[in-house]
Amino acid sequence: MIQIISGIQNASAALDAEQTRLDVISQNIANANTTHGVDGKPYQRQLVVFESALQQAVNSDGSLQMPPLQIAKIEKDTSPPIQIYDPGNPDADGNGLVSMPNVNINEEMADLVSASRAYEANLAVVKNSHSMAMETLAIGKG
Amino acid sequence: MTPIPAINPNLSSIMPNVDMMTPESGSLSTNGIQMPSELAQASSVQPPGDSFSSMLGQLVSDVNNQQAVSAQTVSALQSGQSVPLHHAVIAMEEANVSFQLMVEVRNRLLDSYQEIMRMQV
Repeated sequence: MIQIISGIQNASAALDAEQTRLDVISQNIANANTTHGVDGKPYQRQLVVFESALQQAVNSDGSLQMPPLQIAKIEKDTSPPIQIYDPGNPDADGNGLVSMPNVNINEEMADLVSASRAYEANLAVVKNSHSMAMETLAIGKG
Repeated sequence: MTPIPAINPNLSSIMPNVDMMTPESGSLSTNGIQMPSELAQASSVQPPGDSFSSMLGQLVSDVNNQQAVSAQTVSALQSGQSVPLHHAVIAMEEANVSFQLMVEVRNRLLDSYQEIMRMQV
């Protein structure tokens, strides 16, 4: 298959990664008040870890090509849950304290903006490669 | 002039000179005029699968593949499978650009053919 637009594979992989990051952030925001998760504990904030897919990029003859970005893993933030006093809550302990998820909504919004900007940057790369290809095809016209 | 063996009968019936445009025998317009001995040598040396017509056929089938991939991705997206939106759009753009490339190649070929046909003898 011909590679008609250069660099588009990297940009596409980065778009995938940023999309996953946005999904994880939306999950964090949606569960900001989940005190009773599947395991009965409060929801733990999740973090996305990026890596470049270097291993897959090493060719059989040892030469390197540009490694695309990919998601290495989605980790849980192990910081302790936030304790608030709410005796009426069904999940309150003997002292009336409820363990709320360790999600800071301000942090999540800042991450959301950052992920969305990174996505836009990769879209700009795709757009630029596309317009370069179209300009190249128009060589000699007019 | 030494007759040039035709690889693809359909193509060569439209454009008898298409086999001159192989990389071995130089580009179309600048080195097009050659001594008959050189021409015969160039056409006998070239490997059978490497002619311009087979290259063109490869390009057309590549473009067709791109179009098929693009259609597949879009229909997967529309039928609710978990395909990211940007995959579909990028596949469509790749199909579009490769189709444009094919159209450009065809335009240049036709231009050069018509240029030759207009030549005063």
